[in-house]
Amino acid sequence: MNRRLFIALALILVFCGQSLSQTGTKKKRPLPYEFGRVVLNNYSEKADLSPVVFEHWIHRSKFTCRVCHVDIGFAMKAGATGIHAVDNERGYYCGSCHNGKMIVDGKAVFAACSNKKLTYEDQRRCDRCHSIGKKVPSDFDFFTFSQPLPKERFGNGIDWEKAEEMGLIKPASFLDGFTIPKHSLAAQKDFDLNPKVEGMPDIIFSHKKHTVWNGCELCHPEIFMGVKKGNSHYNMVDISEGKSCGACHVTVAFPLMDCQRCHSKPVQP
Amino acid sequence: MTTGITCKRMIVAGLLCTGLAVPVGVYAIGEPPPSASQSAPARETWQKEFDSVCSRSQDAMSFSEEELATLIKRCDVLLPQIEKLDETRKKVYMGRLRMCRGLYAYVLESKRNEKK
Repeated sequence: MNRRLFIALALILVFCGQSLSQTGTKKKRPLPYEFGRVVLNNYSEKADLSPVVFEHWIHRSKFTCRVCHVDIGFAMKAGATGIHAVDNERGYYCGSCHNGKMIVDGKAVFAACSNKKLTYEDQRRCDRCHSIGKKVPSDFDFFTFSQPLPKERFGNGIDWEKAEEMGLIKPASFLDGFTIPKHSLAAQKDFDLNPKVEGMPDIIFSHKKHTVWNGCELCHPEIFMGVKKGNSHYNMVDISEGKSCGACHVTVAFPLMDCQRCHSKPVQP
Repeated sequence: MTTGITCKRMIVAGLLCTGLAVPVGVYAIGEPPPSASQSAPARETWQKEFDSVCSRSQDAMSFSEEELATLIKRCDVLLPQIEKLDETRKKVYMGRLRMCRGLYAYVLESKRNEKK
């Protein structure tokens, strides 16, 4: 009896061990054209449509982060906005630009889906975003788009900051009807932060670059709550879980594995 | 006798009021009349106020504590007006107002902490 119990327990342990070892899989690193991709499926499948595939790379080349995440109001977390077709129809969220009227690069931006009965043409238009599992032709090809841009090692493989400095992309900071006209923001001072690990170069935080793209309210206080410098403590575990810097640097901005982009101050001997 | 006359007067006054109310329409106090031509300016009013309050977020650091407190109060006044909007605009502008108010409150707290 005892021997049978022992064998049974041993088998259970071996079986569980095998299955547990398979669940702790390493996350697949996205390819350059996949980096920043967001799949939205709040209501799509319930409406018999494929989930939406949103490509950050093309949108971020046209607009600053603030236009979409402050002025239009897209949440910073995938799926948290809860966009309905009716929101787009009313001219908000995706419908702010995807209205069939707005002209970008001399072309009208295709209109977002609506709740109306769909014709074949409408269906094809819907498929442009509701595209999971479909081969949908796009106006933009990542490789053609990224070819002339300065290169980076990770993420999309593009140095977006340099691309803007060189005038190769011109992200607009104003969207008519959404952005409140404001005078340009006074340049914010960059500052350095000391890492906890000895020998690790200090972090030079580019406050200027971040405010130009994000404004103030995108980061404060919802992402960075600390009021006084040095009062909040950040660590790489939290960051890799999407907190603080990780809100963008895990999902769309250059990723965490590009250590030296932040830990950039030379170590003093 | 006097009570009878008073009653008649009240009935006549009531009828007159009803008669006036029909062509003019009755609206709850403080609410705009529901005609499209008149409700548009009302909508613009909250939007203008929203733009005016939230357009200053760039200058938040340069405001005094009193100015920041006033801006926060103005945000709070806007909140019930935005809550009355249709679901889409409510969702958009509640989020925007939350961020805008949040920033002013954050800077105000930061200024108060500096004094400590």
